[in-house]
Amino acid sequence: MTDSLPLAGRGRRLVATLIDLTVVPVASLLIMLVSGVFESAEAYAGNQIYIRGFLLGVTGYLIVNGWLLHARGQTLGKAVMGIMIVSNGTSEQAPLWKLVIIRALFFPVLYLVVVFPLTLIAVIDQVFIFGKQRRCLHDLVCGTSVVYLR
Amino acid sequence: MSNGLVAAIVVVATSTQAFGQCEGTRTEPGLDRFYSQTWGTQFNGQRFQPAANTSINAANASKLELKWVYGLSTNSPRSYPLVTEDTIFIGDEGRGLVALDKENGCVRWENTEIQDISTAIVSEVVDGRTLLFFSGRGSGAFAVDAINGELVWQRFIDDDNPVPMFSGSPIVYKDKVFVPISSLEVVLTLLPFYGCCTTSGGMAALDSSTGELLWYRPTIEEEAEVSGGHWFFVDEFGPSGAPVWGAPMLDTKRRLLFYGSGQNYSRPASLTSDAIFAVHIDSGDIAWVKQFTAGDAYNLACGAGLPNCPEPVGPDVDFGAPPMLVNLATGEDLVIAGQKSGDVYGINPDSGETVWATRFGRGGPLGGVHWGMAANPEMELVFVPISDIPAGSNERPPQPGLYALNFNDGRLVWSVEREAKCEARSCWPGISAAIAAGPDIVVTGSLDGMLEIYRASDGELLWSYDTATEFSAVNELATKGGAFDAHGPMLADDLLIVSSGYGSFGQEGGNALLVFSPRRESP
Repeated sequence: MTDSLPLAGRGRRLVATLIDLTVVPVASLLIMLVSGVFESAEAYAGNQIYIRGFLLGVTGYLIVNGWLLHARGQTLGKAVMGIMIVSNGTSEQAPLWKLVIIRALFFPVLYLVVVFPLTLIAVIDQVFIFGKQRRCLHDLVCGTSVVYLR
Repeated sequence: MSNGLVAAIVVVATSTQAFGQCEGTRTEPGLDRFYSQTWGTQFNGQRFQPAANTSINAANASKLELKWVYGLSTNSPRSYPLVTEDTIFIGDEGRGLVALDKENGCVRWENTEIQDISTAIVSEVVDGRTLLFFSGRGSGAFAVDAINGELVWQRFIDDDNPVPMFSGSPIVYKDKVFVPISSLEVVLTLLPFYGCCTTSGGMAALDSSTGELLWYRPTIEEEAEVSGGHWFFVDEFGPSGAPVWGAPMLDTKRRLLFYGSGQNYSRPASLTSDAIFAVHIDSGDIAWVKQFTAGDAYNLACGAGLPNCPEPVGPDVDFGAPPMLVNLATGEDLVIAGQKSGDVYGINPDSGETVWATRFGRGGPLGGVHWGMAANPEMELVFVPISDIPAGSNERPPQPGLYALNFNDGRLVWSVEREAKCEARSCWPGISAAIAAGPDIVVTGSLDGMLEIYRASDGELLWSYDTATEFSAVNELATKGGAFDAHGPMLADDLLIVSSGYGSFGQEGGNALLVFSPRRESP
């Protein structure tokens, strides 16, 4: 619970997440086409496909959300839905390094929901939202919560 | 000792036992006699077993009966066995390399670290011990100790091609292993954002003792350059492709390696696609290259209507079947090569000039001549299996079956046009798998699952066995047969050995390693 800002509703968080899950891949796809990162045979040698795929996802995420996270503690989806990420128990914007290095790593996990039986990993992360504090597993790990904007 | 403890010990003991291992099976294989040298049986690639190496012939073919069955761990087996006096070595894709007791199929040893074996197993004595050589489709060339299956070396040959595939069987000759190389790019073309294509096929020579690369000969020497594009951002490149799908054939007298290449993956086409190569084994230098179909550019995107398909699209008529060397009545040698177009060529081994040419059926991306022909040097015949399965453009009428030519002049001696022998299942009567020849017989496995033996002199059908059924396997795996494709049957000693089932291209899958032997008459 924060001192002054109410916790964001679960429905808003869900819609914000769905927006992010849609926009980030589109951005990554555009970056992929422009950069040609998967156009050459070298991209499919050894572990390159995983390394490049990971870096492409990170780049797409940061291009869409980097400035918003830095300036306002929001992803694009959260900005649209009028909610933001704060350090748990405060109304202070969460530190950028935590949002990028810890919290953002959980983002690609959400795509596992369509990769049975890895679906369970995504479900475990999300199911914590039904607790009293409305904090997903990534919130608990990162020490954050999501609140309505001031 | 309590019952619970006894049960626990039994469970542990059973679980550590090798898959398919039978009590009392000796783990060490006999290595005194090998029944083949290469995928092509001998270095000349004729896939012919003389009477000294097989007791199966026209007189006892009708007495063949199933001796034992081993259940493989794949729906599309692609390994070709190596047989000794008491052991069959074979790649069990998805499980590993296994050494089976020739008498009953029980496992002598297995190496489960190499799971994608896709070629024939060949052998050579190196530094005083017998090594087995083969390739894993995505993992490279291997040498293992024949006594126990332990890995000696592994070589992933990506010096010229970052995404090589190893589908063609290697040949080992003294201190060198020759490894054919194709390219994963033919599959990557299915990705619309992939810029097709920059790699080429090739042949590598490795040190048989260490796996060190001695030379590498790409099928396309020139660097691929930008040749087009799609979706504004995706560049396309060429020339590319010309993979070496099949095993090479070795002429020890000329010290030349002969092998065929496939189509280009992109345009511009090269002068070395759909060609036969003759390469010096000591240096890798090219003696000659002869292209038989010019301008053939095709990849998997064409079948799916995707943007990487080159325009205009070619017929995809590789030389997937390895060439063979025969000695003519005149005493001269001749290279014989069969193409997926259905063409068969007699070629001068010194110059690459075409001596004779003939054609059967309509051909296409899956043959025509697909995996391999056989010959009988005593009868001066070459046997040509024709698939003609519907694929690609089908302007000519199909002629699936078996054709025997006099190899001196390419004249047709006899032919068998097959009709599908299957009830209540869809199938095609063509012969796509490689075939084998014995002293007076030809052994074929067809896409309808029928294993057949024909008399070599006149094409009379002597024996037929429907393998598209369920079998009880010695290793207790659920086992069924299906379409014959890929490496085909092998004759060795008193055995006929063949893998039934091939689930690619919509064909009937299966996992049955079948071993037949003539019924012994009671005295």
